[in-house]
Amino acid sequence: MRFSTPQDFNQYISSLPPSAARRLWVCGGPGCLAQGAEKLLLALRNEASKTNKDVSCQLLAVPTGCLGLCERGPMVACQPEGYVYEKVKIEDAQEIVVETLISGRPVSRLCQDPKDPTASNHPFYLPQKRLIMRRFGRINPDSFEDYLRTSGYEALLSALSIGPLEVFSRVENSGLRGRGGGGFPAGRKWRACKDAIGAPKYVLANGDEGDPGAFMNRSLMEGDPFSIIEGMTLGAYAVGASMGYIYVRHEYPLSVERLKLAIKTAENFGLLGDDILGTGFNFNLSVIEGGGAFVCGESTALMASIEGREGQPRVKYVRSVERGLWEKPTLLQNVESWANIPLIVQHGSEWFKQIGAPNNPGTKIFSLVGQVKRSGLAEMPLGSIIRTLVEDVGGGPQKGRTLKAVQTGGPSGGCLPTSALDLPLDFDSLPEAGTIMGSGGLIVMDNLSCMVDVARYFTLFLKNESCGKCLPCREGLEVAFNILDDLCCGRGQTGHSDLLVNLAQGIQDSALCGLGQSAANPVLSTIRYFREEYLEHEEGFCRAGRCQGLFLVKIDRDKCNGCGACQPVCPAGAITGREREPRTVKVEKCLGCGACLTACRFRAASTERKVAGV
Amino acid sequence: MSEPKIKTPLPETISGNISGLIDGSQVSANVGDILLNVAREHGFRIPTLCYHPGLTSDGNCRLCLVEVNDRLVSSCLYPLRTPGFEVKTNSPRLKRSRELVITLMLSRAPKSKVVLSLAEEFNLKPDPRLARTKEDQCLRCGLCVRACQAGGAEAISLVGRGSERKVCGPFFEPPIDCVGCLACAKVCPTSVIDFIEQRDYRAIWERHFPLVSCPICSRPFATQEELARPNADQICPSCRRRAMAQALYDVDYLRR
Repeated sequence: MRFSTPQDFNQYISSLPPSAARRLWVCGGPGCLAQGAEKLLLALRNEASKTNKDVSCQLLAVPTGCLGLCERGPMVACQPEGYVYEKVKIEDAQEIVVETLISGRPVSRLCQDPKDPTASNHPFYLPQKRLIMRRFGRINPDSFEDYLRTSGYEALLSALSIGPLEVFSRVENSGLRGRGGGGFPAGRKWRACKDAIGAPKYVLANGDEGDPGAFMNRSLMEGDPFSIIEGMTLGAYAVGASMGYIYVRHEYPLSVERLKLAIKTAENFGLLGDDILGTGFNFNLSVIEGGGAFVCGESTALMASIEGREGQPRVKYVRSVERGLWEKPTLLQNVESWANIPLIVQHGSEWFKQIGAPNNPGTKIFSLVGQVKRSGLAEMPLGSIIRTLVEDVGGGPQKGRTLKAVQTGGPSGGCLPTSALDLPLDFDSLPEAGTIMGSGGLIVMDNLSCMVDVARYFTLFLKNESCGKCLPCREGLEVAFNILDDLCCGRGQTGHSDLLVNLAQGIQDSALCGLGQSAANPVLSTIRYFREEYLEHEEGFCRAGRCQGLFLVKIDRDKCNGCGACQPVCPAGAITGREREPRTVKVEKCLGCGACLTACRFRAASTERKVAGV
Repeated sequence: MSEPKIKTPLPETISGNISGLIDGSQVSANVGDILLNVAREHGFRIPTLCYHPGLTSDGNCRLCLVEVNDRLVSSCLYPLRTPGFEVKTNSPRLKRSRELVITLMLSRAPKSKVVLSLAEEFNLKPDPRLARTKEDQCLRCGLCVRACQAGGAEAISLVGRGSERKVCGPFFEPPIDCVGCLACAKVCPTSVIDFIEQRDYRAIWERHFPLVSCPICSRPFATQEELARPNADQICPSCRRRAMAQALYDVDYLRR
């Protein structure tokens, strides 16, 4: 069916039958899928079909976008009651179908708080504001009807009646800042592209998320592909583009599949392609799969990759809004930025500005991972305090551990100490503290994380992912990694930290692209806030007990309650002691692996310096 | 992906002459002029390594960085577009980044004459802490690749990512498209590309080329593949010079 006028389409939307009376939503986010959500979905469907056939066509079990709390997956939600179940097993399927799907009663034992089955007071969800993720848990990402029922394409319909100039001015006035990491004002980019000379113009979506531990864009593409497509259609309408590409890394096969399906559906309905809804506006969209190079997330490298050249950045003295893809004016935004556009066009810029902080309007999806009790995806208004995210949403550190640092902005971001936890998460405060917002990765580290080792890990990642075009990034990161490796392996020398600072500042100044310039951030920020650890490593001591052989383990007899958790994990059999009595470590046998430190939940095992001669 | 490449003219707001400051002295340039050329014309010393006036600039060696309005830019690629530009070719920040670049070059190619003379010019010594177990004298500047491209052969390219990056033929094999022109070896700043040149035989990139004799002086001078290129000169350079001189003389004689 192809709609030839906006009125036809409007009529179709209002004539849609209401969705099934009650639906069970199985989280289809990457975390839950890895934990067996697909089998769970089949089991639920199987159980549902066993019951009365008339009921099952009204009651459905469907996959949906990420429900957020990946740590406690697979998750199941029920609409319209809003029950949220955690850690659901296949054996629970029958009970869920009988109790919840048919009778509408909660299965309390699967809820986080049995008294509150709808999770309305769940500490993970309470501080969040889910705008971009509003459809997660409410629609089937593959279903066009579901998207339309949740006010999808309303923004495009209103845009076609208000005209491109008004769409543009709404976006410009909203003050939206690019969600890809730089936080560049979208309005300025749009204006430059709109005013640029040249045709055709292109709009691009960057879905090449490559940060370790980050999966916001992936969840968005998998959970609500139509919102990205609608956002890009609006962008193309406003700046006068006729062709668009979504660049997705091929490691995200489900994203590629869902986006392609969504594009095809939109084309069939006449919402993409030539003469959209009979208005004469043409916009063709296709998906490009990237080969998985981290550097292809950089705008110019991404364009080179689409053109079929080697994915390498170029200098940006002529910006890509003037000369981008195939030397034509190109508007590139992150997929999350694009998903914001329908909201802004639909509700207006004033509404959007009320959310978040001044100069940083809107929400941002963070992927909260690392040493917290509840890791997952959280959407917060910009300007939220880091502590809220770490301690309320994430539930703070694991038992017996203390927070040490928070790494924001992915591998090329920086580590903040606990004293900086009261900083607001926005595009202005984080750079002042020596880190970046990045695409929204947030890695929490506790006292068992060695900051030198962390810097070494990220430098290794960046060294391997450096495209190798410019000398400071290619050679400098390799040299920096060698020094960090020396420090972590006990080959540290006095002066290594100063050498690292020099090297890192030089790389920051002289590298060619944004990735190279920020590649020194992990080293610079850890030295800035944790210099004493670097100095200790120069002397051959690792206080966190992470760098093998750089510490001795000591068990505090007052704190040890003799639980014995450390004894079986010790590979050398160096820990001795009787049942229910404090344990001791035989220094001569200890390998210095730190396994006992991880096992101890009572802070009894700690590190101490090696004494000469032992 | 392929798209017809039609160059869109840059939407300049102004055209013609603009002027600005380089290290405090007034210079003038045309809109779109490359900063490095303008600075060199006015006698400013900006070191370069991966730059060659006859080839497209790449800006990868980061030696030619200068400061424009408090931003470090590679001068070999920076087009002057706005009047009143302020360029510094020697600031503390530039000094630090230049020193880092040269130190890193020293650790990669400690035997190269170009790098050693740069180190001498900027008073730098190799840092033993940055020394690597495997040095290979190649700075991955890609001049050879660009020269090969300009010659039309496109036989070699930079492959691999990061520190794995290196110059080689397709699939790490002797490049089948190589015509044996030696442009890559001649343009290499660290002279790291090996070749053998004997009276009637040439070898480079593990390819072997017998040399064809000049039809006039019968001295072997070029490979068969070189001569097969469109518009290739079929006589040797010295005979060409002689022929040109003769032609000039003839014209001169006739005119008299």
